[in-house]
Amino acid sequence: MASRSPSKSQKPLSPNIQLYRPQLTSVLSILNRLTGVLLSIAAIALVSWLLAAAAGQQAYAIVQGVFASWTGQVTLFGCTFAFFLHFFGGIRHLVWDTVHGFELRTIYMSGWAVVAASIVMTAVSWIVSVYMGR
Amino acid sequence: MRTPLARAIGLGSAKGGVHHWWMQRVSAIALVPLTVWFIAAIIAKTGADYTAFVAWMRNPITDILMGLLLIALFYHAALGLQVVVEDYVHSDVKFAAVIAIRLICFTLGAAGILATLRISLGP
Amino acid sequence: MIIESSKQVSRNHLFKRFPIPTNFGVTKDSRVNRGKAWPAPAGVTRTKSFEIYRYDPDSGRGPQVDTFEVDLDDCGPMVLDALIWIKNKVDSTLTFRRSCREGVCGSCAMNMDGTNWLACTRFISEMESPAKIYPLANMKIIKDLVPDQTHVFAQYAAIEPWLQSKTPTPERERRQSVEERGQIDGYYECILCFCCTSGCPSHWWNGNRFLGPAVLLQAWRWLTDSRDEAVEERLDKLEDPFRLYRCHTILNCTRTCPKGLNPGKAIAHIKKAMIERQR
Repeated sequence: MASRSPSKSQKPLSPNIQLYRPQLTSVLSILNRLTGVLLSIAAIALVSWLLAAAAGQQAYAIVQGVFASWTGQVTLFGCTFAFFLHFFGGIRHLVWDTVHGFELRTIYMSGWAVVAASIVMTAVSWIVSVYMGR
Repeated sequence: MRTPLARAIGLGSAKGGVHHWWMQRVSAIALVPLTVWFIAAIIAKTGADYTAFVAWMRNPITDILMGLLLIALFYHAALGLQVVVEDYVHSDVKFAAVIAIRLICFTLGAAGILATLRISLGP
Repeated sequence: MIIESSKQVSRNHLFKRFPIPTNFGVTKDSRVNRGKAWPAPAGVTRTKSFEIYRYDPDSGRGPQVDTFEVDLDDCGPMVLDALIWIKNKVDSTLTFRRSCREGVCGSCAMNMDGTNWLACTRFISEMESPAKIYPLANMKIIKDLVPDQTHVFAQYAAIEPWLQSKTPTPERERRQSVEERGQIDGYYECILCFCCTSGCPSHWWNGNRFLGPAVLLQAWRWLTDSRDEAVEERLDKLEDPFRLYRCHTILNCTRTCPKGLNPGKAIAHIKKAMIERQR
């Protein structure tokens, strides 16, 4: 036996997130969480919008101005994409809760479907919105 | 000098936790149609001015759906953010953070609902 | 792009690690430094570079990564063969667990090219160049590639992985239909290698309280065994925001299981049972 026995605190911890390979499983999961947190912040913007409308036309115009600005539009676009990722990711989670779709092939197909659907729906919603605004 | 088994058992099972999980799913299911309605309505009303917006809000269906959306949204957000904090915060700050999140989400939800009512019932 | 079996190695070349520094958030004792480059064998045609995590508790140094050149014509096809070749021909202090060399004992579980698998069933030809061999992720390391599994085995003991009955022991065997016996298929085959638990981000952040996929899969194995009569107590012990509900269906576990088992599905079954006993 070694003359000094290492206590638990001396053993180094092997790398985890610094080393482990990102895979569709972990990447989509963390994206679901990130988009959820982002949308929670966006919800504050939603409530501010409603409060501004309740306060009157001037307040509403200010908030609408912020949304219509270049940064506002880019942020809204990002929020739309985040929303659809979280929406379709959430549905994927609800399906898993019924104990379906756990075979690896299905996990991967549904994962890519979520990414594709989010991109398509973000594009569609913005194209329609631009058309409606004309 | 606790044994590994004692360390693994910790303070024992809370014998609860399924309610949080269940309500997260129930609010998620509620949010599916509500958010679809909201996004569709926002897109359809792109470019509408203040008067058109107020007219839309005065519609009782909009009122109800907006109220339900705010309730489901902030309940779902509070539950979700609580889990995020529990995952990453391990000191006593965790309890303060969870309380703060719950109170802030309730306040925002209440503010949103009251604003909705104000717009639709106001002059 | 579409993975059909956990045997398939991750092929993407863009995203081999999360874009964070090598020693991000790591305590001083755990920092990995560059180690020794061992000389290549003389007069050899086919070699492959292996970067291997080393830690010697008696040296006073922290962990480091040594580089070895393995003669592929002198060694077997599996990563475990390469490790044994290195131990025999180059550095006899290289330490790792191994036993069956056929993927049934779970001893040689380690992290190869970023994913957890058994060294004895991973082909050298499937590895990148240089091949990166690290111990199982997020484990306290005793020496080189040997993790300290005390805590995860304690978590396993905590779920009471034995048959518990209340009715008196029957005269002969406890009867079970073919369908009932089929209920434990896909769960009893677990070899407790802990590849899944070591690859679970929730276990990384909350491993002291979250039981992890391996232990929860075994918990389901006992819950679904028709001969067991302690279902109520088992579910009571599992119903905890940390023990069970730290699982967010990340599914790294199912992706990495070297036996092709499905811990994610087992956990989904447990969560469903939790709801079903309420309604």
